[in-house]
Amino acid sequence: MKTLLLNGAKNGKSNVNNFAKMIEEELENRNYEVNNISLHKAEINNCTSCFECWVGTPGVCVIDDYAQELARLFINSNLVIFLTPIVFGGYSYQLKKALDRMIPLVSPFFKKFEGEIHHKKRYKESPAILGIGIMNKFNEKKAQIFETLVKRNCINFHSTEQRSRIFMIDQDKNSIRKKIKNI
Amino acid sequence: MDKTKDVLLLIGSPKGNCLDSTSYVLGKHVINNLRAENINSEVISIPSHLKSDSQIKKFLNKIERADTLLLSSPLYVDTLPAPVTQALELIKESSKIITNSKNKELMVIVNCGFPESSQNRVAIQICEQFALETGMAWLGGLAVGMGGSLSGKVIPEQGGKAKEVKEALDFLTVKIIQSEKIPEDKLPYEVEPNIPGWLYTFIGNLSWRVQALKNGCYKLLNNKPFV
Repeated sequence: MKTLLLNGAKNGKSNVNNFAKMIEEELENRNYEVNNISLHKAEINNCTSCFECWVGTPGVCVIDDYAQELARLFINSNLVIFLTPIVFGGYSYQLKKALDRMIPLVSPFFKKFEGEIHHKKRYKESPAILGIGIMNKFNEKKAQIFETLVKRNCINFHSTEQRSRIFMIDQDKNSIRKKIKNI
Repeated sequence: MDKTKDVLLLIGSPKGNCLDSTSYVLGKHVINNLRAENINSEVISIPSHLKSDSQIKKFLNKIERADTLLLSSPLYVDTLPAPVTQALELIKESSKIITNSKNKELMVIVNCGFPESSQNRVAIQICEQFALETGMAWLGGLAVGMGGSLSGKVIPEQGGKAKEVKEALDFLTVKIIQSEKIPEDKLPYEVEPNIPGWLYTFIGNLSWRVQALKNGCYKLLNNKPFV
């Protein structure tokens, strides 16, 4: 199974990187093919909302940076993992700048899905999405916002399956590994 | 009425020229109302203030000086755009702002390109959480749908289409002046222009086709370059 792990850690010092390592190890134990991307190291510019990826060069962003390769990896994966510190209930800036640049993967056209209007599919198949949020201290409200956000992303990216899991930053390694194994 | 209040409008649109954005049109309407009441205000674009360390410093100084922050942002991929997320992270990390944030207020307007204003709920909840974690007083958020139909002209010139949107923005103005939260009975505070959903999506879909035709890529609209 091809897996893209988007690591939204703020920098190299963040403890979130340890989770990326453990997730990668667990997936490799299952013989998954893993692309582990540390987004803070990647050259990814912010989306500028020019819509060229929809009506100028359909399917491809006009900003020539690593997000183009990331879009290719995203759509050709079976599973994409959003790993992020939970920031005000949502994603980190590092993860969000990458996700904003994934809009070439959908069509500009509007269509109703699950009672709401969203953008139509561009590709026949989309990867499953697993959101893994890291918190310093458990907070129910933030957990609920995070889980809703992952679910909504799943609708917009046309993923057929989504899950989200929350870990505490200071959780002991054995219980983290156990929880990762059980996902 | 507090005439000494300083209101800072933060435009979250990542567009090159934020004056073209719906976020600007919506936020500017509130600012125009406030200026008519002699309330001090300033308008800045978030993305253009995050391009260098010196600009970030300037940005944080402006945040520190303001009494009320009014964030007007589009919805990107179900939540706030990356530069707005970055700005919120930077504000939280600024101990200077956090120390003095008790008297600071936050109100937000989030608009999406989809017809349903309710799609903005997660983004507004994130802003509320930000206010809670930074100690700012949360005045509430307004969700606006069909954002694509509201750019270009100031709200009063948009006529009946924007009647409810105008009323909501005028209501936000009053709440900012009074330093009061949007009342519970209005929540979730969500508004859409007076356009049938089917017509909005029909025009939207047509407009993508026209733009692609102009750009000479009509036949490539459903291109799948990565498989």
